[in-house]
Order: sequence, then C-alpha cells, then structure tokens
Amino acid sequence: MVNKNLVKDVVKEPYKYGFVTDIETEKIEKGLNEDIIRLISQKKEEPKFLLDFRLKAFKKWQKMKEPDWAALGYKKIDYQDIIYYSAPKQKEKIASLDEVDPKLLETFDKLGIPLTEQKKLTNVAVDAVFDSVSIATTFREELAEHGVIFCSISEAVKNHADLIEKYLGTVVPASDNYFAALNSAVFSDGSFVYIPKGVTCPMDLSSYFRINSGDSGQFERTLIIAEESSSVSYLEGCTAPMFDTNTLHAAVVELIALDDSSIKYSTVQNWYAGDEEGIGGIFNFVTKRGKCLGKRSKISWSQVETGSAITWKYPSCLLLGEESVGEFYSVALTNNLQQADTGTKMIHIGPKTKSTIVSKGISAGNSKNSYRGLVKMGTKATGSRNYSQCDSMLIGDQASANTFPYIKSQQPNSEIEHEASTCRISEEQLFYLQSRGIEFEEAVSMMVSGFCRDVFNQLPMEFAAEADKLLALKLEGSVG
Amino acid sequence: MEIIEKIKTNKSIDNQTEIQKICLDKLQSSPLPNLRSEQWRLSNKSKLANFLDYSVNENNSKFDIPYPKNSQSTIRLIIGENCQIKLIKKYYSIQQLSKDELQKYIKEQISFFNQNENWSDLLNLSLSCKNNILGLKINGSKIPPIEIFSHGSSNSLNAKTLIVFLEKNCNVELLQVNLSEDNSSLSQSTFFCLEENSSLNHGVVSYGVNKSNLLNSLNVIQQKNSEYNLGSLHFKFNYARFEIRIKQSEGNAKTNIKGMQITKKNEQISTYTKIDFDGPNGFLDQINKSLADDKSHAIFEGSIIVPKIAQKTDASQLSRNLLLSNLAQIDTKPQLEIIADDVKCKHGATISQLNEEELFYMRTRGITLTEASKLQLSSYFQEIISFIPVAKDRWDLLDKLLNEN
Repeated sequence: MVNKNLVKDVVKEPYKYGFVTDIETEKIEKGLNEDIIRLISQKKEEPKFLLDFRLKAFKKWQKMKEPDWAALGYKKIDYQDIIYYSAPKQKEKIASLDEVDPKLLETFDKLGIPLTEQKKLTNVAVDAVFDSVSIATTFREELAEHGVIFCSISEAVKNHADLIEKYLGTVVPASDNYFAALNSAVFSDGSFVYIPKGVTCPMDLSSYFRINSGDSGQFERTLIIAEESSSVSYLEGCTAPMFDTNTLHAAVVELIALDDSSIKYSTVQNWYAGDEEGIGGIFNFVTKRGKCLGKRSKISWSQVETGSAITWKYPSCLLLGEESVGEFYSVALTNNLQQADTGTKMIHIGPKTKSTIVSKGISAGNSKNSYRGLVKMGTKATGSRNYSQCDSMLIGDQASANTFPYIKSQQPNSEIEHEASTCRISEEQLFYLQSRGIEFEEAVSMMVSGFCRDVFNQLPMEFAAEADKLLALKLEGSVG
Repeated sequence: MEIIEKIKTNKSIDNQTEIQKICLDKLQSSPLPNLRSEQWRLSNKSKLANFLDYSVNENNSKFDIPYPKNSQSTIRLIIGENCQIKLIKKYYSIQQLSKDELQKYIKEQISFFNQNENWSDLLNLSLSCKNNILGLKINGSKIPPIEIFSHGSSNSLNAKTLIVFLEKNCNVELLQVNLSEDNSSLSQSTFFCLEENSSLNHGVVSYGVNKSNLLNSLNVIQQKNSEYNLGSLHFKFNYARFEIRIKQSEGNAKTNIKGMQITKKNEQISTYTKIDFDGPNGFLDQINKSLADDKSHAIFEGSIIVPKIAQKTDASQLSRNLLLSNLAQIDTKPQLEIIADDVKCKHGATISQLNEEELFYMRTRGITLTEASKLQLSSYFQEIISFIPVAKDRWDLLDKLLNEN
C-alpha cells in the first residue's frame, strides 16, 4: 500500500516565481468607466478607431452578464475594485535594452527569460510584458530582415495601424463573451506578429507575461497573422507574484491563418495558484481562437496549464478553409483548491477539414478539473473528420475530474470520434517501479510524464523540458 | 401557466388526489422547465408547446393490442383498464399496491425531485388520475413475462403512471409498451424499486403515428446486488423525450442499458440519462444508438456521476450515431463527473454514416444498394432489439423498423 501522505507531499512544491519586484509604477485609479477607457487610450496614444472599438466593447460589456455555466465556484469579482492600467515608470522611449530599468531585466532574468544580450543566444525572440506594458522585444532587427513583424501591440497600433484595423476583433469580436468584451474595452498590451507571404519564421517567437502588481488586472491581447504559405511557432509563458488577493487576468488571443500557412501556439501557464487554503491566486479567463481562413491552413494549440486559482479557457479553431487543420493538445494540472474548466472548440465549416483533440487532465488535492469541448460539423463540412481523446487522472479521493464533450453534426459525410477515460496512478505500476529501485517520487513523476507524453511531444523542445519539470515540481508530494 | 389552468379547469379541485395537489403546487412556482438549462436547451420549443396543446383526457378508449396471438404465456396489463390485479400462484405473486403504499412511495419520491430535472414527472403526477396509476408488488420466482401497455388516444393529452416494487430475490422480464395515436400526447412516468438480489429485464418500446408526442420518464432505484437491464426503442414520434434516471443506492449493483432512437421526417427524439452511483462497486455498461434521417434531430445526453463514496465503480458509456441526411442533425453529450479515484470510467461517441466500403463490397456481390443499406441497418438495429425482453422473441420489431414508411 502506497503511503497517501507521501503522494500529497509530492505536489507541495512552493511557487518559486512568487516574488514581487519593487519598482516604481504608474497606476491609474481603480474602477471602470468610459473615462478610464479614454484615459488608457490616451496614455497609449491610440488612433480614433481603436478608442471607438474600446468604447463600443465597453457598452456591450455593460449589457452582458458574467457567465455561470462553467463548473467553477469563485467569489464574485468586483470589477470596480481593479486597476485597469499599471506600468513600470521608465523613460519615454527606449532605444536599446541597455536603457530598460535594470530591475526589470533582473526580474525577467530571475524568471529565466532571455532578454539580456548574453542570453539571446537561445534563438528565441521574446516580447516581455510586465503588468500592462511591453518592456522589450528582442531580435527585432533579425526578424525584420525576413519581413517578420514582432512587436508589442501598442507599437503595432502606431506603426501598422492598417493591419490592426483590418484584423483586430475579426476572430474574437468584442461581443463574443463577457470577458472578451471586457478585454476589448481595456486591453493594455500584448504581442503582435505578422508573417509575410512565403516566410517561415526563422526562430521561435515568444511572449512572457508577468503580473507584478497585486491590485491591477492584466488584460493583454495577442494578434498573429500568417499570410499565404508562411509558418510560425509562438510560445507564451506566464507567472505572477504571490498575493493573498485574487488578480484578474482576462486575455484575448486571435490567430489568422491564410492559404497553406501554419501557426503553432504553445502556452505554459504558471500563474500563481493560491495557497493550500485557496487564498489568493490568479483568476484566468481567457478567450483564444484561431481562424483557419485559407485552404490547407493549420492552427495548432498546445498548452500546459498548471497555475491559476481559476482557469476558464477554451482555445478554439474555426475551420473555414478547405482541408484546413485544427489541433489541440492540452495538459491541465490542478492541485489544492484550484479549479480548471478548460477544453476546446473545433468548428468545422469548410469541406475536408480535420481536427484532433488530445486533452489530459490531472487533478490532485481538493481541486476540480473539467474538460469542456465542442466539436461541430456544419452542413458544408463534407469529408471532415474529428478525433478527440480526453483522459483524466485522479490523485487522491478529494479531487474531481469531469468531462463534458458537446458533439454536434449536421453533415452525414463526416466522421466524429470521441473517447474519454479516467484512471489513477496504479499501485501496481508504482510498486513495480519501486521494486526496480526507482524512488517513489521519481516513479510518480515518470508515470505522470508518461500519461502526458502525447501532449509533451507536441511542445517545442525547450517548453517540453520545462513542462516536464514543472509538472514534476507541482506534483511533488501529492501522489499516494 | 396555461398548463396549470388547463389541469385545474379540467376537473374540480375536490376530485384531485393529494399527490396531484402537491405536484400542482410545485408546478405553480415554475410551470415550464428552464428551457435554457442543459437538460432542456436542445428541446424543440414549439414541439414542446404542441405537446401541451391538447386537452387532458382521463378516460381510456379501447385500443387494439398489437401482436395479440403471441400472448399465451404472458401477463398483459393495460394502464387505466386493469383496476384489480391479484395473482397469487404457487411460486409467485403479483399484487396491486395499496392506496397508502402508493401514496407514501410517490410522496417520498417527490421529496427528492429537482424541479427542472423531474419536470416531466411533476407534470405526469399532476395529470395522472387514480385510475391511470398502476402500482405493482412482485415477488417469487418463475414469473411469466409481463407486458404493460400505455396508450395515448387521439387529440388529447394522456398521463399514465407505473410503479413497480420488485421484492428480494425476484427475477422478472417486463416489457413496457407506449403506443400513441396520431395527434396525441402521452406522458408516461415509471418508477421501479429493485430490492436486494432482484433482477429486472426491462424493455421499453414506444412508437407513434404521425404527430404523436411522448414524454417518457423512467426512475429506477437499485438496492445492492440487484441487476437492471434495459433495452429501449423509440421511433415515429413528432416529439419524444426519454429520461432515464438510475440510482444505485448502495452500490454493488449492475446496470446494463441498450437504447435506440430513430428519427425521420421532421421528428425530434431525445434521450437523457443520469446514472448516480451512491455506493462502491457499481457497474454500468451503456450504449445508446441514434439514427437521424430527413430533416430530423436526434439527441443524446448521458451523465455518469461517481461521488467519493463510489470507489471501484466500473462504468462505460458509448454513444453511436448514424446521420443519413444532409438536413438531419445529431447532438450527443456523454459526460463524466468523477470524484472517487479508484474507478474505471470511460465514454465514447461516434457520428458517421453507413460504411461505404461495406456497401461497396456487398454491391460487388450483386446486392442492390437498397438491400445492402438494409442489411447494414439491420445489424445496427439488431444489437439493441435483441436486448429488449419479450419483444425480441415475439414481436417482429426489426421488420417494423426496416419495412415501414
């Protein structure tokens, strides 16, 4: 019989990104109204169309109700008690990284994000977002040589207003849902990526989101456009300090893939999850959606969700173009009192479209982990196919794992397959590994890693290693 | 609100039984189910309104029981007609539940009702008059197969209720048949209580004519070591809803469900199942098949709930669907809610059309396309039909499914 406490101990690794950077910040007053939105827009020196976009979204948001259908329970969010703009004070314009406040660089250094020159060797371009603003974007010149635009969305608004005006809100309209409307009204920063026709992005692009302030929310917006025959791999990471209050994170990500292009979007989400009693932690309400507009275009989401007190996230694909492909690979780990309601939507609209869903949920402690996914075959999706697989692993008898797949078909000439299973770490397997001289904790982490293998295989190299480590750390002390 | 007015004006308050009064009271606070809730959101609103459109009928017109010739050794009962049943034989007894027993049991059930989830039962019990409630207590062995008929007559809303107690160590084969005439609505609620070591092979065959509507609700409570097998078939309804709620009250019980719904024309048929495991070592094997043709809509929603107490539960649920037309629609949502960690739970769902390769193979062997499709369909149907007790041997359901229309 495996000692249950031992397993519990395995999940108890303290959150190592929980430090706060002591830096002077510029914050606006708490609350949300039209004036605040005008103020944000003014601070970011935005063109009129964007202010109009924000105000319109705000009007819609005011009329909307917070959704309550997810299998989540959390205390009511007071939207007037949040600071909607917070930025570290720094000089007006930064010519090079040398001018960035060393404290900020130090922060990202501590997080292991390669911003400084000596660390740029890793060949990953990074856009680092601190609270409401983007601090720095590396490798810009090298990318520019290939015609790739990679910058913060605020810069893109200034320098590429035409692209922003054309594409912003076309995948996730402001009225899409409550949190998307909120984001559209108050979004502060985020990344913008444009890959021109025929270009394969020479390096992985990455954004790193850091919440530093305890009372301000983070509302970033990411827009990625892949023109014909282009391809890009984009990585996203997130951390936050430990506060005993809940911080709201409501992001929107929009991907657009034209003919023969491909976008791979990988996330390792490690926001602060709150302590063992469930105090503090990030409320993570994210709308991520990709539009496969072009023929043979492909959008692939892979995510490792380990943080956040509440996760509400359904990265989706609208498969419009003929023979377009959507993929979703997810590992969601919840522990203590974390709650996650996550999954995907694959909407097949065009003919011969294909989608694959692989979701692995691990719930430990008193946590709640739900998969909620929609697969829909429209009337024109002839010859389309979907395959979904959702596996859950339960650790301890207090955690819950739910599966809610919504499957809808209006096209006879299409095929949908869905399967789901639930299991736990089997004592026999543990015993076997231990009898071969493998330490208990290592055996557990090997088994969890094996359980998630299908998803980890889809992650970019560095992320895969990181994800494996992250999961092992998070699970330390929780299996038994 | 209309529905309540209708029930009220239909008869004087004095004539109502206590149960009817309790249910009416409950309905008063929310006369219709929450149409935005998960259980009702896919239900066709106008069809539901149409269901409630007919005036309530408490009298039972005579009707012809199908397949009369084959009934030699079966016990045949018609809800609303057989008022006094008392069969006491050497090995078994089938007796009517006394008024008090009935009332006590129904009241207890109502106290567990969830307004939205059990709306069909509330409606049924507020409509069902004394004559249309059949309560049976069965015990013993070597019990001949039982067939129980519910009938919905034309241009009216009919409500029938069946309550069956299966006493300890008792094995029964029971076929329940719901027949609806055209332009009719039938509300059927069934309550089974399976005591320890009992086993029930239950068949439900429901079919209508044009514009027949059905709300069929089935509530089963299984005590430990009981076995419940259900084979069900619903077809030819403008609107039909089959709700199955099974509770393994102490675990250690076995449940097998094989259900099928066939929709054509503009029909909508849905199946909702909720299986609660309230104790350890429960077993469930469920398969639900749908076939949707023309402009019809078939729906399946199944939930399996495994709380902490239900360790070592072994549950599987499979939803298999055939979509045969461009204008038809299939929705399926098998769901798992699990807290216990030492369990084996899985579910699966597929939606596709007839296998083209198999069709092609048969055609190369000289079988026409129509015949080949029929062959494929019959194998698809057969798995379910052969699981429906009584009917599988005596009723030619397969022929009815393949050759009618």
